[in-house]
Amino acid sequence: MADDVRRWSDELARDPNSLVFLELGEALRRQRQLDVAHKIALRGVERHPRNADAHDLVARIAVDRGDLQLARERWSIVLQLVPGHAGALKGMGYLSYQEGRFNDAEQYLSHVAAADGQEHVTSALATVRRTSMSLPAVPAPAAEPSTTPGATPGAFDDPRRLFADLLVDDGQTAILLDSAGYVLGGMYVDANGADVSTDVGAQLSGITDEVRRAMRHLDIGDWKSITFETQGAVVAMAPSVDASLVVVATSRATPLGLVRRLLDRCGTRATSWLERGVGR
Amino acid sequence: MMPPLRPIVDGLTRQRGVRASLIVSEQDGLIIESSLRFGQDGDRVAALAASMYRKARLSAAAACLGAVAFLQLDAEQGRMCAVGGRSDFVIVVIADPGANVGLIRVELFKALEMLA
Repeated sequence: MADDVRRWSDELARDPNSLVFLELGEALRRQRQLDVAHKIALRGVERHPRNADAHDLVARIAVDRGDLQLARERWSIVLQLVPGHAGALKGMGYLSYQEGRFNDAEQYLSHVAAADGQEHVTSALATVRRTSMSLPAVPAPAAEPSTTPGATPGAFDDPRRLFADLLVDDGQTAILLDSAGYVLGGMYVDANGADVSTDVGAQLSGITDEVRRAMRHLDIGDWKSITFETQGAVVAMAPSVDASLVVVATSRATPLGLVRRLLDRCGTRATSWLERGVGR
Repeated sequence: MMPPLRPIVDGLTRQRGVRASLIVSEQDGLIIESSLRFGQDGDRVAALAASMYRKARLSAAAACLGAVAFLQLDAEQGRMCAVGGRSDFVIVVIADPGANVGLIRVELFKALEMLA
């Protein structure tokens, strides 16, 4: 990959009008070099303003940088240039889902599914339909505002919406796992809008076994939380009642202090919910 | 050429609230260099920290989250911070609960740069 990036960079330096910026920008995005990727994509758009893939690249990088407004603007341009552009439809579906506009999300994803029927699109569409069927048209937080993080969430009859009103920024997601790693509440949604809670929960819950084992020998008392930064996300976990586990994930753009506060709020919500006996 | 490791761990242990700092092999959990306050069992800390970091790395990779750069474990009577991901080395710090973890994180990444 490093060789490819170098080759594409050289090619772009030789010929600034080359379309190789599309591959270069995407490679840098995947390597999480978002600022550089953003600059390259914007330069590409300046030189190729009618190229839909260039705007699509800017939008995808914008999502990773947490700038959803820019992403929406760019994907709107893409759809004006190429109605039915699969990347833009998937992107708009993702943005709509994140904003709780499930009908819009379903419409966008239906178009993509009808066109190419990729498995992850079909899965994302199924997630949107399950969510929209079990919820009122207005998202639960709007129907019952709650400014107190620990307030008993009466509106959360759907466990998947347990943390919905606490996740204020884009790219934030939270799940509650039982002692066996099964999902009790919340949702972990990936960049394609697919609900991957079960897989991610099972993988991450394994860390806590290691933590418990270490705590017995490190002489620093019981563990309260674990946070780790990865290339793609910041993940924080804390134990909750009945040996359950709250997992919060945010984009790398979210400050660590904010992640910790979010974890605290989700922990309070989970405790309140479990103590009501809802999750049992 | 690898820089002298002793000044790196000594520099970390000089931070306020830090009880121990170690450079550990993630693969086998053995100490490569350490700077410990009296009463710390370096071998035990090294083995457990390396094991925890490795588990976090594998779990994060399995969950498609990418490589783990920084890990922080908070407990009632202390906290453990670790950085790694560039080689087999993991740099570990054990600190008091009230230690400034933001500063420790910065110093850990500086130390990692020196090792790279």
